[in-house]
Amino acid sequence: MTSPDWPLEIRAAAARVGVHLDDATVEELAEHLDDIYSAARRDGCSDEEAISRGRAALQESTLEVLRHAPSRRPAAPHHIAPDGGRRLNMMAALRLALRQLRLHRGFAAVTILVLALGVGATTTVFTIVDSVLVRPLPYRDPDRLVTLWDTSARRGRMQERISPVNFMDYRALPVFEGAAAWWRPSLNLTDPGLDPLRVNAIEVSGNFFDVLGVRPQLGDGFPAGGPFSVQREPLVVISDRLWRTRYNGDPAVVGRLLRFNERPHLVAGVMPPRFHYPDDIDVWQRLNWDLTQHSRAAHFMEAVARVRDDTTLEQAAIAVETLARRLQTDFAQTNRDWTVTLIPLLEEQLGYYRPALLVLAGAVGLLLMIGCLNIASLLLTRALSREREIALRIAMGASPRQLLVQLLAESLVLSSFGAVLGVVASAVALPALVRVAPSGIPRLDEAQLDVRALAVAVAIAVTTTIVFGLVPAVVLVGRKIAADLRSGERGSSRGARRAYSVIVVGQVALACTLLMSSALLIRTVVKMVTTPTGIDADAVVTTSVQLPIPNVVARLAVQQSRAIADTHELLLERIRQQPGVVSAGAASVLPLELDLRLPLEIDGDATPVRADDRSIAQYHAVSDGYFETMRAALASGRPFSKFDTADAAPVVIVNEAFVSRYLEGRQPLRRFVITNTRYIGVVAQNLMVKDGDPRLPTSLTPARFEIVGVVKDIRNMPLGQPVEPAVYFSSQQFPFREMHLVIRATTTTAAVAAVRASLASTAPSVPMGVVRTWAEQMAEKTQDARLLMTVLIFFGVAAASLAALGVYGLFSWSVAQRTRELAIRLTLGARPVSVGAGVVRQSAALVAIGLVVGLGIVRVSEAVLTRVLIDLSPHDPGSLAAAGILLAVVAIGACVPPAVRALRVDPVEGLRVE
Amino acid sequence: MNLPADGRTLDAAKKGSADLIILALVEDEPLHGYEIASRLERSCQGTLRFTLASLYATLYRLEERELVRSRWVERAGQRRRRCYRITDKGRKALAVQREDWSRFIAALTQIAGLRPA
Repeated sequence: MTSPDWPLEIRAAAARVGVHLDDATVEELAEHLDDIYSAARRDGCSDEEAISRGRAALQESTLEVLRHAPSRRPAAPHHIAPDGGRRLNMMAALRLALRQLRLHRGFAAVTILVLALGVGATTTVFTIVDSVLVRPLPYRDPDRLVTLWDTSARRGRMQERISPVNFMDYRALPVFEGAAAWWRPSLNLTDPGLDPLRVNAIEVSGNFFDVLGVRPQLGDGFPAGGPFSVQREPLVVISDRLWRTRYNGDPAVVGRLLRFNERPHLVAGVMPPRFHYPDDIDVWQRLNWDLTQHSRAAHFMEAVARVRDDTTLEQAAIAVETLARRLQTDFAQTNRDWTVTLIPLLEEQLGYYRPALLVLAGAVGLLLMIGCLNIASLLLTRALSREREIALRIAMGASPRQLLVQLLAESLVLSSFGAVLGVVASAVALPALVRVAPSGIPRLDEAQLDVRALAVAVAIAVTTTIVFGLVPAVVLVGRKIAADLRSGERGSSRGARRAYSVIVVGQVALACTLLMSSALLIRTVVKMVTTPTGIDADAVVTTSVQLPIPNVVARLAVQQSRAIADTHELLLERIRQQPGVVSAGAASVLPLELDLRLPLEIDGDATPVRADDRSIAQYHAVSDGYFETMRAALASGRPFSKFDTADAAPVVIVNEAFVSRYLEGRQPLRRFVITNTRYIGVVAQNLMVKDGDPRLPTSLTPARFEIVGVVKDIRNMPLGQPVEPAVYFSSQQFPFREMHLVIRATTTTAAVAAVRASLASTAPSVPMGVVRTWAEQMAEKTQDARLLMTVLIFFGVAAASLAALGVYGLFSWSVAQRTRELAIRLTLGARPVSVGAGVVRQSAALVAIGLVVGLGIVRVSEAVLTRVLIDLSPHDPGSLAAAGILLAVVAIGACVPPAVRALRVDPVEGLRVE
Repeated sequence: MNLPADGRTLDAAKKGSADLIILALVEDEPLHGYEIASRLERSCQGTLRFTLASLYATLYRLEERELVRSRWVERAGQRRRRCYRITDKGRKALAVQREDWSRFIAALTQIAGLRPA
């Protein structure tokens, strides 16, 4: 036998005389009793005898004399560490706090988890927002950089590519230190012994890198100070990625000649790693044509400018707008209604991600606040349940300050654990998130937890500690607990109830905001995914092929274009003959992307006076077999056949949007549309528009195309935007060098093999573009919104759960507090059901207030929400109602268990509670 | 001066002398509670005794008045103990008390005819 549990006996003895002894005192007394016991055993006493000596010492003691002893709480100044140094009061308080939390493991675990969730989510999102939105771009003075866009409110085109001629005018303005422009040709790179490769390239003015303020890591780049665009020596600068993957990082690549589109280009430099501006670019080709010799009506260039240091962005914007107004009058034919917009580079680079990240940041902020409110209510509950203990301490002389320090220490311990766990979770989650996120988010791959993220975590921990640890403490200490103790009443005072109610309303409101935002995003994504695209092509394999300008047969552009048309047709024919292929076709652009908008006339309609008032439609070129492969339905007429060649009658197919816009109430078939668009740069030529009067250098004879079919609308704009009028030309009559192939085959592998084999036999030097099924393309187009939705659903569910937990906590506590009152009412004849209903009614009232407040927050954040919702108003009643009802059900459901408990109060037991 | 005419005389005296006794016991070396109690018992064969509670109540009071100072001491293989050592203030107080008690006892000896034990 060993010595008894002295601490237990001492506490029991103290409790019998109504004295509360602190842990340190109990320990000291226990040691003493143990010494008595050990001494007795050494003196030869039996175990029983030794124990009874100890007990006798305890029994003869009047423990009351210790009641007024100064508190032996570890916070007392006499407490000195074994190492001889004085311990901080706080340190001692922390030790006690740890012990307290070990005793209440469930409470500690829930609190720490909630905090970790908040800290983890916040740190992760902060890191992402920081590296994507906040951190400066890796260019010289990036905040001075702006992008230039033509805009026409009348046409609803708010961010259109800029015309090269207009650009040259804007560029000359003194508000800019420099301005660079580019367009996007398709380049095929061929090296002896290597597979031909399609590269992402821009053809860019020679000052491009100077404007951005970046230098190549190898080579000199484009020579400075040369003419702006017309330069005969073809130069390229390549990306670090291309340099490493294709040329094994060989520095000798600089100065070598590489063949792009069959033309040798001198490599003038290799850019630093991760430089791919404006987007995923691997080759920057120096511009070698004169921008001023193009058309003001052709909007196909992109531009970036550096605003002078002594000029504000607003001043620069005013200067370009003033110039745009002058151009409107000077060149009314082309520039009427067109103006120009400057968009700061960072904002432009982020596009959809900027509002999306703001929504995300808002959502995570809300989640964190809900978490904190939850912790506040947990701490409040716990503080209230310790009311008696705290009252005793005060009665024993503990100062309010000591109590505050103790309560603060407890929440500090909790929040530290929460913060550490949260940071660990974030460190795990961040790389995973970066992997699943859309690859287009600029700079996301640079996101890493760093000192600043850790600072955020620490800041959250400290704030939660102070605010949420102190509030319940102040509520408690300030409530003259001694009075409560004397009266023996439970402290279910109004103050605590009010604090609780505010917390619950806050939680419900914030959760409501999150859930409603998630619901709106869900609706957006559902709408995007279910929008009819006009095709049924999930299994169709898509890829692209760009033919070089053939130097065969003749120098004449017409003959070259015929050769291109023939090659495409031959290629398609060969693909169709490959095993496993069901059908194949080609189009100049795939659905959901907008092709060139160009003017045309309807034969028989009066020709408008101004060129600008002519009908505008998207021009597409598609091959025979395209509509069939994509399973696009014809409303009337016929599809293209292989006989719609350059030697046959000119024909077009229009879409239903075209008919309803320009041919309302008229029979479209056998009607003619007239176009004199002959060239689309070097990429396409309309073979049916012939040279006109040879005495006039630019004279063309417009071609009349007969409408032979009407195709049901195929979506030709990004998701969420209405279908535009479109004219489909036969690709044999209007050949494009680059065509997108669509192949329906038994398997994807069969389709890829078919293209590869046919390409090898038709145009061996031509690379095949990226291969994707249409389903994959669709998934990619919706991935931003889907990712945002997924995250918000997660946040929404977490928020709703936390809010439900808050409601449950409040009413559990409330019912427990009111057991006596409920018992009295039951004794006096109240029906149990009405007692339970009262509890539910109260919770419903709080939840309703929360919902209203939440709806208000949604209203306030509308501006940002609108920018991430596609084709959906932030007032969408369905989404808001669904989220509201869900939350109401969950929250009111959470108070059912406490209500049931209220129903089951046994009047006799209830009255005996105290 | 009213002195109770029974055994309570001694009790009152003991109570009054408790501070002196404890300060004297820890004068030379730091001791923990049980050591203080057992030394006292040994040196006066049980005439003077503290109960558990009164011993610690006194120690805490002395500590609050900064006459002694305590610290937890841990020794290898043993439980930690709280040891009390006298402070400078305590030494001064002890000197004063010794003086007072010496005079008091001298007076008692003379007046009440006490004889040294």
